[in-house]
Amino acid sequence: MFQLEAKKPSVCESEPLANEGLRATLPVFRGIVTSSYGPTGRLKQLHNGVGGHVCTTSQSTALLRGLLVTHPVLKILTTSISNHVACFSDCGLFVAILCCNLIENLQGINVTPAAIIELNKLLLSLCTRYLSSEACGCRVPVDFSSAHILLCLVRSVITSKPACALSRKEADHISALVLRAFLLTVPEQAGDCITLGKIITVPLKGHKVIDSTVLPGILIEMSDVQLLRLLPTQNSSPLKVALFCASLSGELADTGGGTLVVSYGVCLQRAVLDQLLSLGRQLVSDHVHLVMCQKVIHPSLKQFLSEHRIIAIDRVGGALMEPLSKMTGTQPIGTLGSISPCSYGSVKDLSPAKFGSKQFFHLVPNEVTVSSLLLGGRSDTAWDELKLTCDTALHVLQLTLKEPFVFLGGGCTETHLAAYIRHMTLTEPGSILKNESHSPAELQLIAGAFCRALESLASSLEHDGGGALTDLTYGHFWALPSDSPPLASWPDVLSRCGCGLHGSQEELNWSFLRSPHHPFLPQSSLPPEAAGSARSLTLDCFSAKLNGLRVAVDTANLILDLAYVIEDKN
Amino acid sequence: MSATASVKVALQVAEVLESIVSNCLGPEGRLVLCTKPTGEVLLCRDGGRLLEALHLEHPVARMVVSCASRHLKKTGDGAKTFIIYLCHLLRGLDSIIEKGKDSWLPEYVQTQERHWKNCCLWKFVSQILLTFQAQTLDYVVDQCLSKHFLSIFKSSPKEKALCRRSLKSLLEAYFCGRVAKNNHKFLSQLMYDYLFKCMVYESGVEEVLEFVDDCFVELNVGVVGLPVSDSRIIAGLVLQRDFSVYCPVDGDIRIVIVTETIQPLFSVSASECVLNTEEQFQASQSWIMERTKAIMNYLHSQDVKVLLSSVKQPDLVIYYAKLNGISVVECLSSEEISFIQRATGLFPLVLPQTCSQPEIPNTTLVTSCKPLILKSKRYVHLGLISTCLFIPHCIVLCGPVQGVIEQHRDALHGAFKMLRHLFKDLVLSYLTQANNQNDTSSPLLYKDSKERDELQDNGTDSIQRPYSHIPKKNTDKLATVQTHLMVDSDSEIASIALGTYIPCSTPQNTYQTNSILTCSSQMKTEVIDDRALLIESKFTADSATENNRIEMSSESVQATKSVSKGKASSVSSKSVESYCAASISAGCVLPVGGNFEILLHYYLRNYAKKCQKSEETIVSMIIANALLSIPKILYKSRKGNESFPQMYIRTIHALQTHQPVVSTQRGLESVSGKYQLLTSVLQCLAKILTIDLIISIKRQPQKVYDQDSEDEL
Repeated sequence: MFQLEAKKPSVCESEPLANEGLRATLPVFRGIVTSSYGPTGRLKQLHNGVGGHVCTTSQSTALLRGLLVTHPVLKILTTSISNHVACFSDCGLFVAILCCNLIENLQGINVTPAAIIELNKLLLSLCTRYLSSEACGCRVPVDFSSAHILLCLVRSVITSKPACALSRKEADHISALVLRAFLLTVPEQAGDCITLGKIITVPLKGHKVIDSTVLPGILIEMSDVQLLRLLPTQNSSPLKVALFCASLSGELADTGGGTLVVSYGVCLQRAVLDQLLSLGRQLVSDHVHLVMCQKVIHPSLKQFLSEHRIIAIDRVGGALMEPLSKMTGTQPIGTLGSISPCSYGSVKDLSPAKFGSKQFFHLVPNEVTVSSLLLGGRSDTAWDELKLTCDTALHVLQLTLKEPFVFLGGGCTETHLAAYIRHMTLTEPGSILKNESHSPAELQLIAGAFCRALESLASSLEHDGGGALTDLTYGHFWALPSDSPPLASWPDVLSRCGCGLHGSQEELNWSFLRSPHHPFLPQSSLPPEAAGSARSLTLDCFSAKLNGLRVAVDTANLILDLAYVIEDKN
Repeated sequence: MSATASVKVALQVAEVLESIVSNCLGPEGRLVLCTKPTGEVLLCRDGGRLLEALHLEHPVARMVVSCASRHLKKTGDGAKTFIIYLCHLLRGLDSIIEKGKDSWLPEYVQTQERHWKNCCLWKFVSQILLTFQAQTLDYVVDQCLSKHFLSIFKSSPKEKALCRRSLKSLLEAYFCGRVAKNNHKFLSQLMYDYLFKCMVYESGVEEVLEFVDDCFVELNVGVVGLPVSDSRIIAGLVLQRDFSVYCPVDGDIRIVIVTETIQPLFSVSASECVLNTEEQFQASQSWIMERTKAIMNYLHSQDVKVLLSSVKQPDLVIYYAKLNGISVVECLSSEEISFIQRATGLFPLVLPQTCSQPEIPNTTLVTSCKPLILKSKRYVHLGLISTCLFIPHCIVLCGPVQGVIEQHRDALHGAFKMLRHLFKDLVLSYLTQANNQNDTSSPLLYKDSKERDELQDNGTDSIQRPYSHIPKKNTDKLATVQTHLMVDSDSEIASIALGTYIPCSTPQNTYQTNSILTCSSQMKTEVIDDRALLIESKFTADSATENNRIEMSSESVQATKSVSKGKASSVSSKSVESYCAASISAGCVLPVGGNFEILLHYYLRNYAKKCQKSEETIVSMIIANALLSIPKILYKSRKGNESFPQMYIRTIHALQTHQPVVSTQRGLESVSGKYQLLTSVLQCLAKILTIDLIISIKRQPQKVYDQDSEDEL
């Protein structure tokens, strides 16, 4: 008997942005994300207080996974960020901070919500048009003939996650490894449709980060005893491989919904085992060298196979099946009956490999489509963070392959964009407004708030109490060290801009970001090759940042448009 | 526990609801964030969703919400407007009673004691409302309002060529009220493109709309994490799962659908399988294997490249599929199967007993079958070749959060519903005399009982002839076809209403004649068609003078032609001398921004002035005033010359001097939707007024059943 319970009425709350609860929690959230941003960001420790897993991080992915928000408006914000990160891996904190800044800046302005949202949308389309146009001064095309820009991009991603706790040397090593692993996934022959290979990350927890390495092929972990038993033979290459997805454990297959009546003395298990052994005989006669099975292989069959010098590896697991079948060119076999000869594949070689205390079985492929990234890490939390960072870097490289551009990092894109918007809204308000029924004054009010949101995003890269400056030629971001003498000339105290493209000796003029200065049209920087390839630049992923900008403005618009929150209390 | 239900209580409830929905109404309306008990968040501006999310406890509120949702389900629009109308109607009624203007009530009501007096009063009012809705309202809409109607079609109604620009402005106005401000233009463009991509030719639009409305769930895919502007249309069908086996092929691809596992089962359920020896078992196992192999080889020999399965296929089948180069998609939902069936006429394959048939039945060709990757998720993309008037296309909806996608999905679905509704004729219950059609100042029907009686006689006389030819069961069938006629003739309340309203005439009689009248007019469909034509031609003449805002082929030749045609038809119908049901013809639209409301307000007010019965005057004044609530809210934020009073005076003045009404709005809205909304509100109001006591019971129906069954045991 079930009982029907009447639904409790929902709670309806009007004007959620003016609400006390949100006014208190939104700045807290903003504080959390702002303080984690950038290479000098502060780390956050997430733990449940009763001895659970502790996570030290400054990445949005890990942060949002652990953070439990209750207010519906914040929930919208965090899911929006998580969804962006799920698609692009990078720029999660960028979205979070920009969105919070926009909400905070636009809230107090005395313009109707409808107008704010429409103007926001116009400004966003101005930004996206500029950022994806040829004239954009903060976008750099990627030259795939040299690894410099790609390496800078990977290094920027890796150094921006301080929770990995990498030294400078380690960061360089990991950046190079990640780039090499990525290049291994790019196929040598380009057809109509390019499919990138796969990278499997193998944990080497407890090892030094500097011991990390990349190997072509797949590593399967096993114990010493197994390995010794498995490797008596040295055959000629290539080796013939059979990969089973059906269970070879000798259990009865699904017998349907009916009842089985078995006469006394009839043993079905024996019948199945007979079947298995005849399968084994077929494998022997087909000259297979290596048999792998996703599930369990019956010990008798294993014994039979090893007697015939066939290496049998079982319990490979579902996750490895796809890369294995891709690398060896096998078709996973789902039958215990006759096997078609075309479902066998091959590997070039197999060898034991030892990393620290761990023994691996290394399958070396004929053609590298799958490679393994062995990643060391001192502690569990640092390793988790490093793994996440490497995944992000690999994804960023893939995105860059699709759209071969990068943005200047280190806050320079944001300040440059803000300078451009200020200039455009002052000189050409008509072209932005088109025929919408808003006044240029309203536009400037909103554009001001929009630019301030971008600029304070750039200045939140600075956590040590320093000042934030911008130059009045390129509109780049310059961090002023907190310990600089107050009366020194700026070229002396400043060293390089955020992205590292410009030095302070270039006869530039500076202004504090918060202080009013005359709007100017920011100029395009010189191509990075001219700046010398020895210098390392800070770069950001193009597609992730562009999408992040759009998602942040879209989400801010959504939240500003809210008139009511209806909370279901059931 | 019981509580007296009164207008006061209902008004309180409606006012609370109104204060919420009025903030979300119209182009300036704002969003509402709803959380579900599961923790999901949903954004909406859709009145129906909003009202349901509130989980109201008050019984009157629940009734109002269910009435509004029912209306929304039918027409796809207008839940918010529903609440606002209702609130203002209640307010109007309440204030009339407050002022003590009950002198117009019949005497027997006034002599009752207080509580019963109230009950009688409200019952009486509800009856007036219903009769008003059934007779006067339809009359006003047909006789006065119809001359302002614009059409979504280009001028010649025979061909029914869609006017693309009007369709665009119709969609834009619809999305303006349903989604966030920064997305409505984009979505209406998306929907517009989608509609034209799916159409084989324009006259097939109704079938396309029906198809899309029925199968909308299968026709869209949501992708979170991307901005809304990345949404797009993809030709063909997107299945929300990955291939189990994918073998790339080019050119036209033959596909089959199976609904059972291809590998035969070892034993069927509810049967016994006796095994005497181990060899028997092995033999049956190998037979299963051979049989599976044979079927897959057979499919391969028949050039089948893709296998769609509604169930999960065993490993063996997957293995042989791969060997034979057949791609497999498993676990299709029954909706997807029926969608493919409907679009391509492909039926599930019955597995052949012997694999020697030369030709395999139930296969079809698709142009492509590829994996589609949308942001790290893999889908199956089928380029179906349609055999009906609908060319399958899918909408990929993007949004930063799931809530936004859901909102857009609802809005698009609602828009298809609204369009589907718009392209149907809406038959009014008011009957117009064919020979009086051109005379707009014709005496009002049912003006007083005497005239009404005459009319009835007239009606029955003239109907005798056609009626005698029609078999009786046919009439019944036709009567049921007209659904909304049932409302005022079939429902009990209505017949009682008629009974009290005109005590001298026998209600039974009226009902009969009514249905006969409409049936006869239904029989003469051509008459109705001509009538529709007339409305159209009137409209062309009208808009030609209006410096038409709507793109109309203003070829005066054609216009006059259709006018003369209309006249000819009216002459012809005159010779037939019959009544025909007035209707709002398919595709009638009006500019948005309260145009419908102000026009109807004006005509209702005029009607009230002419009206002789005091209660009818009062009711029509109340409705006329309640109508103004919508434009008042819409123009709330406008200032100066654009403010509501200014606009109102301008429009009324234009109407009085018979000048064309100039609207500043570019959008359009469906007339039949608006009209239905008003009738739904009036019916809901009548329902509320007839309740006198609300009794809350503690018992739950389920428990009662359970106890009963235990007793029986």
